[in-house]
Amino acid sequence: MKRAVTSAIVVALVVGASALAGSTQSTADPGVTPKSILLGGTVPLSGVASAYSAVAVGANAYFKYVNAKGGVNGRQINYKYLDDTYNPAQTIQLTRQLVEQDKVFAVFNTLGTETNLAIRPYLNQLKVPQLFAASGDTSFGADVATYPYTIGFFPSYQAEGWALGQYLKKSKPKARIAVIAQNDSYGRDLLVGLKRGLGGGSAKVVAAQNYEVTASDVGSQIAKLKSSGADTLAIFATPQFAIQSYVFANKLGWKPFVVTNAVSSASNIMLLASEGGQNKTVVGSVSVVFLKDPTDPKWSKDPAIILYRTIMAKYAKGANAKDVYHVYGMAVAYATVNLFKRLGKNPTRAGLIAAVDSMNIKDDPFLLPGIAIKTGPGDHFPLSQMYFQQYAKTGWKQFGSLVTYKG
Amino acid sequence: MANFFQQVVSGLASGGIYGALALALVLIHRATGVINFAQGEMATFSTYTLWTLTQNHGWSYWPALGATLAISFAGGFGVHQFVIRPVERGSVLRVVIVTIGLLLLLNGAMTWIWSGEVRSVHSPFPTRTIDIAGVAISIQDLGTIGVSIGVVILLGLFFRFTKIGLALRASATNPAEARLVGVRVPLMLGVGWGLATMLGAIAGALTAPTVFLDPNMMQAVLIYAFAAAVLGGIDSPVGAVVGGLLLGVGLNLLGTYVNFVGADLRLPAALTVILAVLLFRPAGLFGKRVVRRV
Amino acid sequence: MRRNAVPVALFAALVAVVAVLPAFLTDFRAQQFAYVGIYLIALIGLNVLTGYTGQMSLGHGAFMAVGGYTTAILMTDHGVRDLWTIPIAAVVAGIAGFLFGIPALRLTGLYLALATFAIAVSTPAVLKKFEGFTGGGSGKNLFGLKELTGGIGGVHILGWKLNFNNWLYYLCWTVALVSYVVAWLLLRGQTGRAFRAVRDSETAALSSGVSLARYKTLAFGVSAAYAGVAGSLFAIATTYVNPDTFPVQLSIFLLVGVVVGGLGSLTGLIAGAVFIEFLPLWAQDVSKSPGAPGVIYGVILIAVVFLLPTGAAGLLRRVATLVRGRVGSAP
Repeated sequence: MKRAVTSAIVVALVVGASALAGSTQSTADPGVTPKSILLGGTVPLSGVASAYSAVAVGANAYFKYVNAKGGVNGRQINYKYLDDTYNPAQTIQLTRQLVEQDKVFAVFNTLGTETNLAIRPYLNQLKVPQLFAASGDTSFGADVATYPYTIGFFPSYQAEGWALGQYLKKSKPKARIAVIAQNDSYGRDLLVGLKRGLGGGSAKVVAAQNYEVTASDVGSQIAKLKSSGADTLAIFATPQFAIQSYVFANKLGWKPFVVTNAVSSASNIMLLASEGGQNKTVVGSVSVVFLKDPTDPKWSKDPAIILYRTIMAKYAKGANAKDVYHVYGMAVAYATVNLFKRLGKNPTRAGLIAAVDSMNIKDDPFLLPGIAIKTGPGDHFPLSQMYFQQYAKTGWKQFGSLVTYKG
Repeated sequence: MANFFQQVVSGLASGGIYGALALALVLIHRATGVINFAQGEMATFSTYTLWTLTQNHGWSYWPALGATLAISFAGGFGVHQFVIRPVERGSVLRVVIVTIGLLLLLNGAMTWIWSGEVRSVHSPFPTRTIDIAGVAISIQDLGTIGVSIGVVILLGLFFRFTKIGLALRASATNPAEARLVGVRVPLMLGVGWGLATMLGAIAGALTAPTVFLDPNMMQAVLIYAFAAAVLGGIDSPVGAVVGGLLLGVGLNLLGTYVNFVGADLRLPAALTVILAVLLFRPAGLFGKRVVRRV
Repeated sequence: MRRNAVPVALFAALVAVVAVLPAFLTDFRAQQFAYVGIYLIALIGLNVLTGYTGQMSLGHGAFMAVGGYTTAILMTDHGVRDLWTIPIAAVVAGIAGFLFGIPALRLTGLYLALATFAIAVSTPAVLKKFEGFTGGGSGKNLFGLKELTGGIGGVHILGWKLNFNNWLYYLCWTVALVSYVVAWLLLRGQTGRAFRAVRDSETAALSSGVSLARYKTLAFGVSAAYAGVAGSLFAIATTYVNPDTFPVQLSIFLLVGVVVGGLGSLTGLIAGAVFIEFLPLWAQDVSKSPGAPGVIYGVILIAVVFLLPTGAAGLLRRVATLVRGRVGSAP
C-alpha cells in the first residue's frame, strides 16, 4: 500500500511538472491593445482607511470622461482597482494579480506608504511602472537610482513639514511648538520636515506626542502637550485625529496657534473641527494647499471645478463631490492622460518611464494656478510647490506666493 | 501636579465611554451568555441613525435621540430573533462566528450607506469648560460620566423592581424554571438584546461628539470596553462602569508617566489587563464567583 | 491495514490532484492556490486546538506572526536560507503556543476567546514597538534576497524549471501535505483520543486518567507550531512582513475557516482554506462600492453557519450517507 502511494505521488508530480514545461512568455508590453490601455492599482475599499478610496473613484471618473471623448490616441484607458484593506500582504497579492493575470500596463495610484513600499522591489525587478504612488513618503521620489520605475505624485510629507516650518520661522519667530503626530513614517516625515524648515531660528519644537492609528482618542496626548507650555500646535494626523486634536484642545481651554498638513485640512474636516463655530482654535489655522477645493466659493465658476462636478455627476454617481480626494484623483488622472498623449501610437513601459523622467505639465486644471508637475532624470518628485492658506470663519483663504521645496 | 489631575480628568472622560459600551456587553452576556463582537458596530449604526435624523431630516436632538433609542431597541430585538436565536443552542463558537459575521456586515453596510467620511454629532451638553486650579474640566465630559452612572442606577432599579426586569433576570439565570413560572424566555432574551442595543446607542451618542463618527468609530472603544467589562466582572453593570473609569484613568497615567508604554503600547496595556484579570480574578472586581458546573 | 485503506486511498487521490492541478491553472492561479495551502496548514493547527481539543482561539494570527517574523528576521539579519527557517519557525511558534497554553489552562469557552483575541489585537502594536528587532512599521522586505529560493527567475529542481508561482505552489503544498499526514497520525493515536476526551468532557477525561494540563498545553503547542509554519510560508510567499500583514482579521478568518471546513475534521479544512483565500476576491467581483465586499462577506459567513452547521465536512458526510443509502436501497 505504502509503495503504491509513493509511486502515485511520483507519477503525479511528473505529470504536473511536465505539463508546466510548455508555458512560454510573450515579449511585447502587456496591457496595451490597439483599442485600450489597462492600468491597475489597489486602494482600501473597506476597513479603517476606506475614506481614501475616493482617490481611485475620482481618477476612474476622469478616465471615463476622457474615454467618452475618444480616449488617448484612439485608446481607451481602463483602470482596475482592487480592495487591499490597507494590508500590505493583500497589496502584494493583488498587485501580482494585476501584473500577472490581468496584465496591466502599469500599476497606478496605489494608496499608502507601507503598501507601496511593499510592492516596489517586485515592480522594479519586473520593470512594471509604479506610476504615481499615492503617498508622500520621501523615498518614492528620492530612491530613483535604485527604483527607477517608481514615482510618487503629491508633495512629499517632508516638503509639507518644511513649508510649515519656514512659515513659523518667519512669521512666529518666538513660537514654542508642540507636535501631535501619527506614530508611523507619515507623522515622522512631517516632523522631520518641520524641524528642517525651522532651521536655526529661535522658534522651537518643545514637545512632541505620538498616537497610534488604533487609538480611540488623543485626549491624553493633547493634555500633555498643553502642559508643556507651548503656544503653537502642529497637527500631523489623519482627518479623524486632526479633528479630535482641535476638539480636545478646545475642551482643555487651550487656544494655541495651529498649523496642520494637507491630508487633514480639507474644508469639510475643518468645518467639523469648528463644531458649528464654537471652537475658536480652528480659526486662524495655517496649512498648505495644492489642489482646488471643490467647496471653496472662489472656484464655483472655475471651468475645472465645473467640469469636475459634471464628471462626478455622470461617472461617479453617489459619491460625495465635496470630497477633495476626488479632485486629487482627477489631478493625477489628468497628468496620466497627458503622459500617455506624449507616448504616441506605441506606448511601452520603457517609454512611459522615459516620459516620467521629463514631465513638465503646467496646465493641470485641478491644481492651483501656477503649480507645475515637473520632474527630471533623478528627480521623481512631480509636485514640490504649494501655497499657504489660513482658515477664516468662512473657510480657507490662500495667501502669500508660491512656495517651492528644494529637497 | 496640574498635569496629573488633567490626565485623571481626561481618563475619566474616556473611561465613561468605555464603561457605557461595556454596559451593553454586560447586559447581553447576562441575558444570553454571549460576548457580542458586533456590539461596537451596532452602537455605531445607532449613532448613524441619530446623525441621519438630525442632519438629513432636520429633527432636533432629543426627539431624534428618542427615535434612535426606539429603533435601536427594535434592531437589537430583531438581531436576536433572526440571527442569534437560530444558533443560540449550539456551540459557543458558532455564536461567536455569527457575531463576527454581523460585525463585518454592519461595518460594510455603514461604509456603503454613509461612506467612510468623518461626520459630527453634536453633544447635548455645552462645550464650555470649567477651570479648577489649572485643571480644565469640560461640561461635556461631566455629562458623559454622569450619564454612564445614571444608566447603571436605572438599570439596577429596572432589574430589581420591574416585572420585566425580574423576568429578564430569571430567563438569563435559569431559563427552564423561568419557563415553568410562565416567563416567555425567548421574548425576554430578545428584550435583553434590545436593551443592550439601546445602551450601545447611548454609548455611541456619548462617543461621537469627541471621537467623531465614522464606520470604525467604536472599534477601538470596543476593545477597551471588553477590558472594562472583564475588569469589573463581566456580569456586573456597576463593575462595567467602574472598570471603564479605572481603565481610562489607569491607561492615561501609564501613558504619561511610564515612558516605555507611551501612546504606542496603550492598547496592549489594556489587553494585559484582560489577561491578568481573567487569570487571577476571573470574576473581576464586582462579579460573583461562579461555581463551574460539570 | 484495512481500516486505513479508504483514508490512504483518498489521500493518494488528493496528492495526485494537488500535483497535477497547476497544469490546469493559469500561472497566477497557482500562486493563489499556494496561499490555500498555507491557510490549510494554519487551519489544521487551529483544528487540533479548537476542533479536537475544544479550545477556542481567536489569536492564531499572532502565532502566524511569530512564524513569519522568525523567518523574515533570520533571512534578513542572519543570512539563513528560507527553507531552513521553516522548521525553526515551527519550533519558535510552538514554544510560544505552549507557554501561552499554561495560563490558558485556567480559561474556558468565551473567556479563552477573549484572551486569545486580546493577543491578536496587541500583536501589531508590539511588533511595531520593537523596531530594531522587527523593522517597525516598515517591516521587512524579503524580495530579491539571495536567501529566498524562489524569485522572478524561477527555480531549477532536478532538471526541471519551475517559475516563481509554481515553485510557491509546490513548496506550500508539499509542506501542507506533510503537515496533514503528521496531524492525521497524531490525531488517530492515543494523543488524539486524549484530545477528544478533553473536548467532550473535562471531568470524564480527568477521571479516566487524562492529564488536562498536559494535553491542553500540548494542543496549544502543536497548534501554534502549525500556525508558525503557515506564517513562515506566508512570509516566503508574500516576500514581505510588517505589523499590518498579521492583522486581527487574519485570526478571525482562520477561525471562520475552521468553522466553514468543519470542526474536528481534516478533509473539510480544504474548503475552509479556499473560503479564506477566495471569498474576499469574489466579494469584490460582485461589487466595488466601498463597503460592499464587507457586506457580502458577512452575509455569506452567517449563511454558512446557518446552513452548514457542521461545515463542509458535515456536508460531505451527509452527501456520502445519501449516496450510500441510494446505492444500498437499489434493487
